Parts: sequence; structure tokens; C-alpha cells
Amino acid sequence: MNYGVIVIGGGPAGLKAACSAAEKGLKVLIIEREARLGGILKQCVHDGFGVIRFGEKLTGPEYAYRDVSEVKRLGIEYLTGTFVTDIYAKEGGYVVETTSAKGLRSDFSEKIVLATGCRERTPRQVNIHGTRPAGVLTAGACQNFVNLKGLLPGKRVVILGSGDIGLIMARRLTLEGAKVIGVYEAKPSPSGLQRNIRQCLDDFGIPLHLQTTVTDVYGQKRVEAVRVSRVDEAMNPVGEGEIVECDLLVVSVGLIPENELAEKLGLTLDPATKGIAVDQYMMSAEKEGVYAVGNALHVHDLVDYVSEGAALAGEDAARDRKRNPVKVDVSGPAYVVPQYIDVSAIGEKTVFYLRSPREMARAKLMLYADGELVAEKRFRNVKPPEMIRASFKFTAEDSVTLRLEEDV
Amino acid sequence: MTYAEKVSKILAKKGYVGVRAEDFGGAVRLSGETDSWEAALEAGRLAVNKKRSRGVVNDIVPRDFIPEPARMPGITDKSLDGFETDVLVIGGGIVGAAIARELTRYAVKVAVVEKEYDVATAQSARNDGMIHAGIDLKPDCKKVKYNVRGNKMYDALSQELDVPIERPGQLVLYTARWQKYLFPFIRLRGARNGIPVYPVSPEGVKEYVREPGLNYGGFMCPSAGVVSPYLMTIALMENAAHNGAKIFVDTAVTGMELKEGKIVSVDTNRGTIYPKVVINAAGVFSDKIAEMAGDRHFTIHPRRGVEAVLDKKAYPKAKCVVGKFVISGSSGSGHTKGGGVIVTIDRNLLLGPSARECAERENEATTREELDEVFEKQSRLAPEVKRSDIITYFAGTRAATYEEDFVVEKSEVTSNFIQAAGIQSPGVTAAPAIAEDAARWAVREVLGELRKNPSFDPYRKGIPVVREMDKEARAKLIAENPDFGEIVCRCEEISKGEIIAALRTPLKVDSVDAVKRRVRAGMGRCQGGFCQPSVVKIISEELGIPPEKVGKKGAGSEVAPYPKKGGGV
Repeated sequence: MNYGVIVIGGGPAGLKAACSAAEKGLKVLIIEREARLGGILKQCVHDGFGVIRFGEKLTGPEYAYRDVSEVKRLGIEYLTGTFVTDIYAKEGGYVVETTSAKGLRSDFSEKIVLATGCRERTPRQVNIHGTRPAGVLTAGACQNFVNLKGLLPGKRVVILGSGDIGLIMARRLTLEGAKVIGVYEAKPSPSGLQRNIRQCLDDFGIPLHLQTTVTDVYGQKRVEAVRVSRVDEAMNPVGEGEIVECDLLVVSVGLIPENELAEKLGLTLDPATKGIAVDQYMMSAEKEGVYAVGNALHVHDLVDYVSEGAALAGEDAARDRKRNPVKVDVSGPAYVVPQYIDVSAIGEKTVFYLRSPREMARAKLMLYADGELVAEKRFRNVKPPEMIRASFKFTAEDSVTLRLEEDV
Repeated sequence: MTYAEKVSKILAKKGYVGVRAEDFGGAVRLSGETDSWEAALEAGRLAVNKKRSRGVVNDIVPRDFIPEPARMPGITDKSLDGFETDVLVIGGGIVGAAIARELTRYAVKVAVVEKEYDVATAQSARNDGMIHAGIDLKPDCKKVKYNVRGNKMYDALSQELDVPIERPGQLVLYTARWQKYLFPFIRLRGARNGIPVYPVSPEGVKEYVREPGLNYGGFMCPSAGVVSPYLMTIALMENAAHNGAKIFVDTAVTGMELKEGKIVSVDTNRGTIYPKVVINAAGVFSDKIAEMAGDRHFTIHPRRGVEAVLDKKAYPKAKCVVGKFVISGSSGSGHTKGGGVIVTIDRNLLLGPSARECAERENEATTREELDEVFEKQSRLAPEVKRSDIITYFAGTRAATYEEDFVVEKSEVTSNFIQAAGIQSPGVTAAPAIAEDAARWAVREVLGELRKNPSFDPYRKGIPVVREMDKEARAKLIAENPDFGEIVCRCEEISKGEIIAALRTPLKVDSVDAVKRRVRAGMGRCQGGFCQPSVVKIISEELGIPPEKVGKKGAGSEVAPYPKKGGGV
């Protein structure tokens, strides 16, 4: 079948992009590999979603339900249990080949939205050694077992990594009757949102051990213990460490955008975001008509901003513009999305999403257009785990610069 | 002077005061104590003389080491008590599997016992899957004899058992310019062992390694191939089972009863078995089995190897197996063939293996130091390989003897006992050839002749691999069985149909890792993060067991053992 846009991924990013495109009159197809729409939100039964977008605290499934309802209301076509096996460019558009229980299928669309989300870094990618018994899970897999499968994987738990999912799981496992012995974080500061440190650890008396990591796993059939060690500044373990007995190690050590389809299309990835490089409408700077949204583009900490960015992509997919993308000159931030600004199509407002490389009590973000300072924004308590969103009204013709500095 | 006396003298001279040497049925047995486990190992090495002794039996007790007992199955029952068979194969690795299948060609009853929850869990799953050319092996040892024969058998095996193999060849890189002058000798050695080999210029090297880190040219052994060693083991065992062999997992041999130089019965955790002939294919425990059978003339000193598995995205970085030239005999220390960058049949690259003597036979834990060592050493061959390409790593223990050769023989001491022991690298390559000999010896012992099994069927059909099928065949398969359309493991593109098929094969399995070895679900870059909960659910539904009872690797390894009130969705 032919579509105006095919959205790959039926999580919050894909759903919002699809709705925005459909509202602009595009014929949309959503392809979702799991049995139901909603993406990872399906297993995020805690609340805190939607504060910015809806002004209320929703659970993950509630947040997803709103977008899924909208998809149904707009009559958007979607395929679940459907997996993309190949994607390639062809005469003014893209061919997407899929497999599902119904068979193989090939669809064509002028535009593509990649909303494939991210995967978790694995224990081995953070150099954990020892044996390979049952009872070592990534936080997402653990969350799936507890919240979707109704199974508790362990009762005496060590958590490595203070990312949001790790913190959420510390609370979740505690509520399910497990004893969380501690959360260990190799970095000198927590990786998750401050509110999660408070609500998930402090409120339950779960200790957080900074600059400490898990180095080895012991046990043949099931985890019996792990070794935890202090680390130096280069994150290398120092000393003998200590043995902590447990029957479950949950690892929450970061997310990696899933961009195997983008790579199939020949797109290069930004080494800082591990996603493709896009303009302010989330369209690839390299390939016309390909968009990336949500955690496939860069790892977000709030779903509200996932939806915001996805809406920009969906709307943009419905129009044609002559592009003139200019690379944003960046100094200061760890990364900035968008990496490019299409100067021929700067709209009412342009939103930048960025992360600071370090903690700063006060920070100043400066925007230069064609060499001139056009706007300045100030932020307090800037931290790497908390994404900065900055919206500007400006125009430019041939250069855009973004600088983040300590504000003294 | 007897050989044992000579060994005593050597050991005394080297300062091993607490160690004695004595003749032990043609072998030399060391006993006494040493301060350290390393010293006991070194004493064992000093006692090697292949011409004057059958082998080294090292019973030295190191004061710094208490050996761990072998991992035993959780089950104890009498389900096999009184079971009679013509041939009993001990060990469900690739050697035991190849022997079992070979035996079913003949008119004998065959049984296999394996102490783990599945076949192919130890060395046979924990190696690089190379079908070695054998150029690096010393002539006139059993290793080279069986390697060369086994290598040639792989094409037929692959075809009969529906297990893919490839022969990308092995490129051996010189480490110095002058080494190219050794090529005539290498060619000669190849010719003597029947191994083809040709020179490769520095320009030619670049055809195989996109960015070589070492380039003085080298030579190519085109007969070197790759196979999934666990899949081959499983296929051999499935075909053996199809032809009537009984395969018992979770079954450990605990003792034997001998009468007048013959094994009468074999005790296991599931009762006493009565075989006419016993074959020892027990890997790192093969000396323990030999001891039970009254013919111990060698000792296993386990040697651990660590290998790193790279993301499939790194695959184009090497087009064949790439190793470094090691001049054999120049150093007595290294006992790996050097390893290198190894392409696998599944389109990953491997780096490794390392080789480190290790006191425990089943210490399959990796260490940071060993992984670092593997990466530092092997990534030099193809510097394009990055640390971030590593998706996982594993360790295995090799069943090394002090003689560093295979023990493949019909026992001279116990008349109904056959050994396929001390099999380390190149065991995967050699297994089919070892199996031919071992099976013939066993059948002659049972029947007095080599009477064939007229209904032997050499063919086994593998599980369909949807990601490798052409569209037409894939669509047809999905139309017949929609489960083959539904992808469960997204990294490796494995369908629900493949996972269910793995649970319906002749060897009944019920564990996540057993499924993984059969169809690769969970072997990709997310390492099962996404698919593990689904695989648990599929196993539970297909086998009708509660999900909380589904194990990662057999009983006691339940992935999520505690059901919550209210259950799942």
C-alpha cells in the first residue's frame, strides 16, 4: 500500500507523530513490533507522566492510552506484532518490508518517521565479570517481568546504576516485598532525576552508594552474591571491594537509541546522541523525508518532550519545504538536538533540547544568529541527567550558534 | 633407571622435596604435597615424556587449594536403575554426540549420560567454532591425525545434519618481514599433513582485513572453516536420538563396578546402568571417569579461555579467520594456537581465546584481566575493532592433559572401556573422526563384528531460520504456521515459530539458554533484554509449566521465581 508517511514504532513518539501527520491530512501507517501500541509506557505503571503536556500526573499506561485513543479517533491505520525486516529508498520515497503472523508485507511512503525507541546497555557492556547465572537482569526486563508478567525475579536485590529506570525499580521491587540492599552508581553523582532519588530511594530508606560499581557476579544456577568496589575518577575499580549477598542484580546503566533501520538507510549517527542528526523539525539533515523522534533520536528523561518533538515531525511531514539546513555551531553542551537549523523554514518558535556536560549552579544559554547574539536564557541547577529545553523566537540566514556557559 | 626414578630425580633437583614419583601401570604418578597449586602444575609438566611413559597422573595435593566438587544435577531418583544398554557414552559434548551418532550406524543399543541440563554446555558451547586446518599442530600427534580427518568430514556432516558451515579460510600473519622465508617449510609441513596452504602478500592481506594492524604478509589455509559448535553438537545428538540412541541429561556418573578387568555397572544419580561397553567422553572430568574405570594414566589440568563476541556491525572488519604466526617449539609456555580475530558462522566476529591455567575444572567465570588481555592482543590484528564493538564475552575450560594430546584409545587395562578423553582444541574439528574410531572399537567389542543398523537415517532437518529465507519461502512458511511471522528476538530476528520448534526437537529442553543455543534468541546486541520475558512466556505456554518455573539453565535457575498476586497481563 501507499502512504503519505509510515511511522515505525508505536510508542509515545510514534503515536504522537502519527496523530500530528494525520491531523494535517496525511495518510498514515503505524508499524509496531509488539502485540499492543504504547511502547515502553505499557510497563511503566508508576506515575509522573504528562505533568507538562497534560498538567496532571498520569501513569505510563494512562499516558499511552490518551495517544492510542487519539490514533483510533483519527482512524489511523496501524499494524501490531509487525516487524520491519528491510527499509530502502525508492523513487521519491521509501519501501518498508515487514513480517507478522499475517505474512510478509511491503508498503511504500513518501516519508518515514523512525520512532524505534532505545535499548538498554547490558551488564557486559559495563564490564561486569564472573559467572552468568539466572538473576541478572536489565532494569527494563525486570520491569517487564514484574509489571507485565506478574513475576518477581528476586527478593534480595542489588541495583547497579542510578538511572531513572533503576530508581523506579528500586521502589517497585520494594513495594512488591523484595529487599533492595542498595543502589550503586559508578559516577560521582546520580544519573536519574532528582525527584526520583527522593521518591524512590530516600522515601524508602534505600541507600545510594556513589562512585561504587559492581565488578563480579557469583553463583552457578542463580546469583548468590556480587562484588562491589569503589572506583577512581577514571571509573576503574580500586581495592578488593566487598561481597554483597543477593539473589537479583538489576542493571540500569544507560539507554542506547535503536538505529539499525537508520543505518540501513545509510544515515550516520551523531556520536554524542547515538541518533541521527536532524533539523528543527526532526528531519534527517542527510536524507530528505526521514524523521527520527523520541528515544531513537536521543534519550529523553520526560515523555512530554518526546511528544512535543514528535508533533513537530508529524506536522512537518505533511508539508513540502525547500531545505537549507545549516549546522548549529555548538560550544558548551554535551549535545544539542536539533543539530541543524533549516534557515529557510524557521517558524514561530524553535526548540532546542540539550544536556549540560556537568553540574552548574547557574548557567547561561546564548543563541547567535549570523554571528549576532539574539537571545539569552538563564538556568539554575543544571545537571547532566536533566535535559534542558529552550525555545527561541529568531531568524537566521547562514549561521546559528549555541553556547552554554557557567553564569557567574 | 626406571622412568619414575628419573622423574623423582628431576623433581628433587628442582626442589620439589615433598613430591614422590612412582610407576603407575606404565604411567608416572606424582603424589605428596606442594605449597601452591602452580607448583603442583609445574611438577606435572616436568614429568612428561611421551616416549617413556603413558602419561602423567598428578595426585599432588597443593596446600593452598581445596578442589570444588563437580556441579551435580539437582535430581536424585531411580528412573534409570537397572537400565541396560550395549554402549554407554559418558558426556554430552561434541565428542560424545559424534560418537553416539556414529554408534547408531551399527546394530547396537546406545545411551548417553550428561550431567548438565542440556547437551553442549561446557567446552562444546564455549569455544570459537573453528574447523581448524591444523597447520599449527605438530606432526605425529593424535591431534593432527584426527584434525585433518575430521576437517574433511565436515562438508558431509553439514549437509546431512542441516547445520551450516563455511570455509572462509585462516590467514596467518607474519610478525616480522623475515618470516616469509619460512614459507617453504610451512608448505612442506602442510603437505606432510595433507593441509593446503598458500602465501599471501601484504597487498593480499588487505583483501581479508580491511585495516590490518600487522602487515608483513602471511599465508592462507583455505580449508579452515567455521561452524556453530553447539548447534553441531545438538544436531549430532538429535540425529543419534532419531536413530534410537537414548539421551539422558541431568545424569551424572558417580561410580563404577568392575569385575575381572571389566566394567559391570555404572552408578548415576538416577540409578545403576548396565552397559556392555563404556565410552569416556567426559571432557574436563575425563580423568575422573578413567579413574572409576580403572585406567587412569593422564590428568586433566583445566585451562580457561576467554573470548569476546563482537556486534554484527563489526563483521566487515575481517573476511576470514585472522591469526598471528607463532613459531612452534620456540616457547614452551603458550598452549593456545594463538587465537585471533575469528569470523563466526552467525556473522559475528570473536576475539580470543586467551589461555590461562585454572585450578577449578568448571570455573567458567570471566575476569576483567583476561578480557583486557584478549582485547589488547587480538585487536592489534585488526585495529579497526573497537572495545565498544564487544557485546558479550564468555569463558570455557579446556580439558588439557600434561601430554597436551588427545587420549583416544581402547583401554589396554579395562577390556570394555574406550577413551575419547583430554579433548581440547581442535576437538570440534576432530570429533567426527574420533567418533569413527571409538564407535568401531565399541561395536566390535559388543558384536564381535561391524554389523550395520539397516534403518540408520543420516539426515536431520534443522529449525527453519526465517531471517535467511527468501521471501517466497518465508511467506509460504508463515502461511502454514503464522508463528514464523511473529518476531520475538528483534536483534537476531528470531520468530516465535523458531522458538517453539526448538522446544519440540527430539532432545526435550525447557530452559531459556537451551532455546538460545538452538535458535539464537537473546544472542544479539541487547542480550535478551527485550526477548527474555517473551521467551519465558513461550516456554511456559508451549510446555504447560508455570512461568515462574521456567529456568535460565535448568532447575534452580528460575528467571523470575516468585509469582505475584494477581498475575500478569
